[in-house]
Amino acid sequence: MEEHVTVIGGGIIGLAAAYECRRRGFSVTIIEAGEFGGQASGAAAGMLAPFSEIEEDPDDFFRLAFESLTLYEPWVSAVQQSSNTSFEYANTGSLHVVYHEADQLALETRQKWQGDFGVDARILDQSALQKLEPELSSEIIGAMHYPEESHVYTPDYVKALASACANEGVTMYAKAGEPRLTRTTEPYEIKLNNGTVIETEQIIVANGAWAKSWEETLGIRIPVHPIRGQICSYQPDTPLLSHIVFSPQGYFVPKANGTLVNGASEDLAGFSTEVTEKGINRLKNWGPHVLPALEEEPPVHTWAGIRPATQDGYPLIGEVPNLPGVQLAVGHYRNGILLSPVTAAVLADRIEAKSDRVPMTLFQPARFT
Amino acid sequence: MPKDPLVINGTTLSSRFFLGTGRYPNPFVQNEAIQASEAEVLTFAIRRVNLEAPDDDAILQHVTHNNFQFLPNTSGAKTADEAVRIARLAKASGLSDWIKIEVSVNERTLMPDPIETLKATEILAEEGFTVLPYTSDDPVLAKRLEEAGAAAVMPGAAPIGTGLGVLNPYHLSLIIEEAEVPIIIDAGLGSAKDVTEVMELGADGVLMNTPVAKAKDPAQMAEAMKLAIDAGRKSYKAGRIPKKRYATASSTLDHTL
Repeated sequence: MEEHVTVIGGGIIGLAAAYECRRRGFSVTIIEAGEFGGQASGAAAGMLAPFSEIEEDPDDFFRLAFESLTLYEPWVSAVQQSSNTSFEYANTGSLHVVYHEADQLALETRQKWQGDFGVDARILDQSALQKLEPELSSEIIGAMHYPEESHVYTPDYVKALASACANEGVTMYAKAGEPRLTRTTEPYEIKLNNGTVIETEQIIVANGAWAKSWEETLGIRIPVHPIRGQICSYQPDTPLLSHIVFSPQGYFVPKANGTLVNGASEDLAGFSTEVTEKGINRLKNWGPHVLPALEEEPPVHTWAGIRPATQDGYPLIGEVPNLPGVQLAVGHYRNGILLSPVTAAVLADRIEAKSDRVPMTLFQPARFT
Repeated sequence: MPKDPLVINGTTLSSRFFLGTGRYPNPFVQNEAIQASEAEVLTFAIRRVNLEAPDDDAILQHVTHNNFQFLPNTSGAKTADEAVRIARLAKASGLSDWIKIEVSVNERTLMPDPIETLKATEILAEEGFTVLPYTSDDPVLAKRLEEAGAAAVMPGAAPIGTGLGVLNPYHLSLIIEEAEVPIIIDAGLGSAKDVTEVMELGADGVLMNTPVAKAKDPAQMAEAMKLAIDAGRKSYKAGRIPKKRYATASSTLDHTL
C-alpha cells in the first residue's frame, strides 16, 4: 500500500506540499478549515523577491529563499500543466528605490554580500533609473536593480494549485473546520468535524497564522502570531511601471491586467481582516512619493490578509520531535508565495528520506521549546 | 526623581538602555522587545523613515504613541556634510533635536570616520542639537568630540552588528576615566556578559540593536540586556574586590573557634 500523506491547511504552503507529494507518488489528502487559497495566500502581491526582501543577512534563510526563486520556473510550468490553466508569472525584475544619498552605502554593502552568492545586483543612478521607469518621482535618487526578481498573480496561482491538486488525484476537503489528531501513534488518525476519519503515516501541518492552536497536540511551542497586511490596487489608464518597485514605505507591482498593486501594512490587529481607513490612507499618502501620477488616482480595490509571523522571523519547517512522520510548515510571514516551491520540495524530500537541498537547521520547529 | 539617573544635556533618563528599532522580524516582536527593555531612548536611521508623516511610517507608527526620547541617526552618511544635512531633516520634522552621528565609508566594517564625525559634531552642536556621536574606541578622539560639544560620546565595543563583544577594554576604560560627559557604549556587543562588562568598566549606558532584534527571542533578550545593564551598573557602583593570587577563606578560623 502506498504511504499516505495528510496536509492540514489549504493555503499556499499546504497546497504546494500536497501537490508536490502527489507528484512524487504518494496518496494525499488536504484539509482546509475554510476555503482553499488561505488567508495570506490569495491576498499577497506575489513578489518573488528574495534579494529585495532580505537586505542584511547572508544566512540560511537567504539560501532558502534564493533556492526557491531558482525552482520557480519549472514549478510554474508543472502547476500550469497539471491544472490545465495559465496564470501570470512575470520576470519583470525589480527596483529597490532610495531617497537619500546616505542609502548608497547600504546598497553597496548589499551588492557586495549578495554578489558573493552570484546575485545580479546593479546600482542605478537617477538618470539610469528614469530611463527604465520614467514615471518614478524625482525625489528618488537611485535604485538597486535586480533583473532576476519576478512576480506571480496569486489569486490565479492559488486557484491553479488547487486545480492541479484535484486533477492529480489529491483528496480535498474544504470548509472542514479544525481537524483533530485522534490517534498519536503510527499510523496516525485524523478526525474531521463531519465524522470522516483519515488514517495516515505522514502529516504536514501548514495552517499558517493558526498554527498556535496545534501546540498542545504537537507538544512544542509554536510562537506564530497574525500580522495583518492591508493592500490596495490602482487602475491607471496607462501602465505606470514595468518593474516591481520597492520603496521604504511600500511596494508596487504592475500586473498584466493593468492594475498596480500597492502594499502593505504590518498591523497588530489579531485575526481581523478588516480594511481600515488609516491603513489605506497610509498607502495613498505615500504613493505620490513613488509615482506622482498616483496623486490623482484613487485606489479601485482594497483588501487585507493575515500573515503568519514568528518570534525570530524564520519559518518553522520540519519534523516534530517524538511524532515521527509529522512535519510542520508554518510561519512564512511575507514570503509564503516565494517559499512555496522550496518548502514543498524539502517536505517531500524528507518523506522520501532524501537529504535536504539547502541547510534547514535554522528552521527546526522545536527550536522555541 | 529616579534613583541613579542618567542625565544627558539636561534630560533625565531612568533607563541606561538605548535601543535600536531596526531589523526586528515584525512589529509584534519589536513592540514586545521595546517593552521588555524598558528603554526610554529609541534610535532609528533617518534615511529609512517617513519624516513627513511619522504616524504613517512603517516602523515609527508602532512607537509614536509612547513617550520615547527619539535618537535619530545619520547611518549611511559618508561625509560630515551628508550627516549634517540628514540631521537637519530630522530636526525640522519636529521628532527630536537629539542626533546620533554615524559617518562610515567602508561598506564591510562600517567603522566610523573619525575626521568627518568630529566635523559633524562641531557643526551640529553649534546649531543646538543634542549630539551623540558614534565613534571608534580612541580615547583622544573621544575627548575631542566632548570638547567639540558632544552631549555624550558613544564609542563602539566592536564593529556594528558583529556581536564580537569588548575588543579593547583598556581603551574603553581610558575613555570613561577621562570623560566629563556620559559615555554610552554603542555597537559590537553580543550578549549580556558583554553588557555587564562595559557597565562594570563604568560606562553610563549601552546602545544596541542587532543582539536584541536578531535573537531567537528578542523580548527575552531585551530583558536580559536590561538586567545586565542593571547588574553591571550596581557592581560598578558597589566597588569590586581587588584580585588576589591566593585564596582567602570567607569564614576565618577565629569565627569557628
